[in-house]
Amino acid sequence: MIDTIAALQPPVLGAVLIWSARVKLFSRHAAAAAHRSALTRLIGQRRALPAYRLLGGVELTLGALLLLPPALRLEAAAATFLALGFLAYLTYARRAAPTSSCGCLSARQTPVSGRSLARAALLVTGAGLAWLIPGDWPGTLTARPLAGGVLLLVEAAAVVALSPELDAAWLLPLRRLRARLTHPLRGGSGLPLLATLQQVQLSDTYRRVAPLLRSDVREHWDDGDWRFVGHAALYQGRAVTAVFATPLADRDPDTVRVALVDDTTGHTLLALAGTPKPAGPQLDVVPA
Amino acid sequence: MPHTLDRRRLLATAALGGVVGATGLGSLAPEAAFAAEAPAVEPGAPDPNFVEGRISKISGHLLLVTGSDTVLHSIRITSGTSIWKLHPTTFDQVAIGDGLYARGVRLPDGTLAADSVWVNIVNLHAHITSVGRNVLHLDHQGRRIVAHVVPGRSAAVYNGTPAVSDLSLLRVGRHVQVLGAWHPDTNEISIATVYAAA
Repeated sequence: MIDTIAALQPPVLGAVLIWSARVKLFSRHAAAAAHRSALTRLIGQRRALPAYRLLGGVELTLGALLLLPPALRLEAAAATFLALGFLAYLTYARRAAPTSSCGCLSARQTPVSGRSLARAALLVTGAGLAWLIPGDWPGTLTARPLAGGVLLLVEAAAVVALSPELDAAWLLPLRRLRARLTHPLRGGSGLPLLATLQQVQLSDTYRRVAPLLRSDVREHWDDGDWRFVGHAALYQGRAVTAVFATPLADRDPDTVRVALVDDTTGHTLLALAGTPKPAGPQLDVVPA
Repeated sequence: MPHTLDRRRLLATAALGGVVGATGLGSLAPEAAFAAEAPAVEPGAPDPNFVEGRISKISGHLLLVTGSDTVLHSIRITSGTSIWKLHPTTFDQVAIGDGLYARGVRLPDGTLAADSVWVNIVNLHAHITSVGRNVLHLDHQGRRIVAHVVPGRSAAVYNGTPAVSDLSLLRVGRHVQVLGAWHPDTNEISIATVYAAA
């Protein structure tokens, strides 16, 4: 069994390397990906892109050699060292530049995570196996097509599952589907306080007293068909409470009323009601 | 409690009663327009009337706060201070270890007499990575944040339209801006408002 596994590592490694090289050599976003990666930290801003492209060239060459027969032991050895290099680089990136992007299998911005490290470790193991136990992968696959096919699929699935940059292609659609089937966020009801505050802040009454307000919302309560919102305010040197009243059923800012009530005496110092627009057609003229 | 009810009845009556002492804008004292004094802050200098940090001690109505730049501040909560902790609340909900933003007036002794205090407030731009029962999992610059929906409190603003309490239009993978209250020393928040495209 271990012979079969070892013999089938070169095509997996080759496919991953070529996929990875595709991003580095042919993607329109390669320059951005290079500059977001920890390469800028490691070798400098100016050399990051050439190094990124060079790495892509190495990956493409080695990936093609691994995919094409004959399967040489030297190729597997080179792949092992390359994968070890990836592992070391990712460990470095995670420690030295945690905000940098991986730049591995996609130009999508993806921080180096435990999954990226696990993927690199998987590649090291695969390449090491192929190096230690050399085999001929087309021969093995024709000899045991079912077991070989399943093995290749499982390993490809493992690589995809360990690639955070590929989540958008399979994981997010699955989660979207689950949300569509189970509706986990349904059930919101009632008028949120923010809706009332938006109505208040759009009103003329609020605009008139806004310079007097000292605090954010201090209290709010519903009573009958009205919602009340209280702010602390300062009016003619006196500490007052500015209380806005909005009808719960009407979202029109013109319906907002306000009163300023003296905190010590309880007297209403000022009360304003909105002025509804006159009925009938009208033309809003703004002085230029 | 009866005191609160009486007070609220008084305030409600005042707000719903007739128009008092005002015949339009002219009824306001002219200085009202200038009531909010222009802040005398040097460009680049810290605003003296603003404090942020975490509460290290509460004694009476005085909060001792350690700023993120390790500067110590004391904040006095007055009878007119508004306190926000996911929603407008009262002083007894404030606890040691909470973070806060406070705005007010600097007293001569250096204490900030707070007008408004926002406890544990956070403002995040993030992507929704997963949605569960009354919970959003967010990706904030590669870090995972668990955002709890609080029924009756959390609101959503879609495309800048008026806020609604229905969060079901949020989609996995989309960008959102979340205002909420942090649960201190965790990666969890409670959602006050989530702004999204729908």
